[in-house]
Amino acid sequence: MLVDILGIIIFLVLFVAFVFLGFYGSRWRKGNLNNITEWGIAGRRLGPYLSWFLIGADVFTAYTFVAVPSLAYASGSIAFYAVPYVAIVFGIAMLTMPRLWQVSRNKGYITASDFIKGRFNSRFLSIVIALTAVVAILPYIALQIVGMQSVLTVMLYGTANAATVSEIALIISFIILAAFTFTSGLRGVTLGSIFKDILIFLTVIVIVVAVLTSYGGFTSAFANIAKLKGSAALPYSTLPAASVPAFFTLFLGSALALYLYPHIINGSLASNNKKTLRKSLSVLPIYSIGLALLALFGIIIYAVPSALAIVKSTGNGLLTVPALIVTVLPGWLAGICLLGVFIGGMVPAALMAIAAANLLSRNVFKEFKPKMSGKDETRLAKWLSAIIKFIALAFVFVAPLTYAIQLQLLGGIIILQLLPAVFLGLYMRKLDWKSLSLGWAAGLISGIGLVMFANNFGALVTSDVKTGIGLLYIGLVALAVNIIISVVGSYIIEAVGARRKGIIKESELVRDINVKTEVS
Amino acid sequence: MNKRKRQRVAAVLIIIPFLVYFSVPLYNITNPAIGGLPFFYWFQILMLPITAILLFKAAKLIDG
Repeated sequence: MLVDILGIIIFLVLFVAFVFLGFYGSRWRKGNLNNITEWGIAGRRLGPYLSWFLIGADVFTAYTFVAVPSLAYASGSIAFYAVPYVAIVFGIAMLTMPRLWQVSRNKGYITASDFIKGRFNSRFLSIVIALTAVVAILPYIALQIVGMQSVLTVMLYGTANAATVSEIALIISFIILAAFTFTSGLRGVTLGSIFKDILIFLTVIVIVVAVLTSYGGFTSAFANIAKLKGSAALPYSTLPAASVPAFFTLFLGSALALYLYPHIINGSLASNNKKTLRKSLSVLPIYSIGLALLALFGIIIYAVPSALAIVKSTGNGLLTVPALIVTVLPGWLAGICLLGVFIGGMVPAALMAIAAANLLSRNVFKEFKPKMSGKDETRLAKWLSAIIKFIALAFVFVAPLTYAIQLQLLGGIIILQLLPAVFLGLYMRKLDWKSLSLGWAAGLISGIGLVMFANNFGALVTSDVKTGIGLLYIGLVALAVNIIISVVGSYIIEAVGARRKGIIKESELVRDINVKTEVS
Repeated sequence: MNKRKRQRVAAVLIIIPFLVYFSVPLYNITNPAIGGLPFFYWFQILMLPITAILLFKAAKLIDG
């Protein structure tokens, strides 16, 4: 065992505290949890600090804690695309989310599909967007579980029946998670996210300090990389010229995609007003410093031979962060930090499941059963959020690890195809649902086609395609196709006078218009 | 400043981090390193709090 008994006890005690917070959420700022606005977006009542923590928890997931350091460990500098990504993404958010929040407040919307339906007066496009978002988010949930698994793998390293124990632990965790999401909705998860954030920041700080003070820091890490990799060590200090276009398109594409994911939009709409939201978004790059330091763990690990040995012996780079935690820190502190990474997967998984459930219940099922009451809609969303979690869990158990990662790669390309309808839709009045639908289809087909082509129609290992100017991120290429068709098509449709007008007034995008008090 | 002018300044403040991060060759260098960490890494990290300050100023300008 790599963690002593004290570390395990602390891990379990903190887990219980986390679960308590999750259930306590239903009593906190009490609202009628049979109402979807209350259950699904916490009644649009989160102030600046809570919004900051919640959106932070949305953005920084187990995937970022686990997969980015893993990429840095395997490939070096290219993994740092994550840093410009989580810097400029908040500029994009500031340009889009306050507008979406405003129109949602005016119209009582709680999802992007609600907005699409009103903006373009199209049920078809709204349903299509909802389903696309759900498909894109499922592998993202699965990856949260992969992150949680990496913690358990390191904790159980070298014990008998490690795989079975790990699966049972995950199932128990998910039953508990489903139960508290069911009872307290977004409120419970918001409280959990504060707890999670504190532990993650603690983890980052103690590891960085420990490695810098007692393991020779970066100088020794880079010296070891040079020794181990010889001429292949170069991409660790800077980007090779050939990787620059991939680096650039990867961070730009990821930044454009993030605020299209339903859980991120969901978190943004939970703010209590537009100014609160804008302010919280503006200071989120501070949170990104934690992510940047975590990405550096993939470099730092080369200074810690015992941690490196764990990753090498398992051949699993996803263990980078947990391996550093158990080798560098004393047992009790390791217990605290491991729990931080573990619930760092649980919290976003719950947020994603809530958002996907809102979409399915409200924008898909209700469209086919319009007589559904608000209470039924909420009850359906609660059940769906539980079902979605277990589908993701089953997927992780059944499919090989690499599948989840490959599908997540496709997920990013798929979600980007929502950009014209959602982001351009916030600013351009003259878009039409017909050209947007066509653009969406062309974006998806070209995106998925290019991925298959770039991987020679075999296993998906890359999301970049070779072009005349170097490797480019496919998501961005497919998005360009989509935007051109959506915009040019809309102008043609407008010119022939066939555009269908939406039911949203321009003024409703920028200021409060006769806001009805929301039912609670 | 009137509202329109404030919004224009805010837009410039929001765009600055984009321009900096877009200029990859500018920071894709090893030296000067800090404590063995190449410029490529620490510069991008340093830009994060700067981005937060710029965006926060922009938010203040928009909302007053």
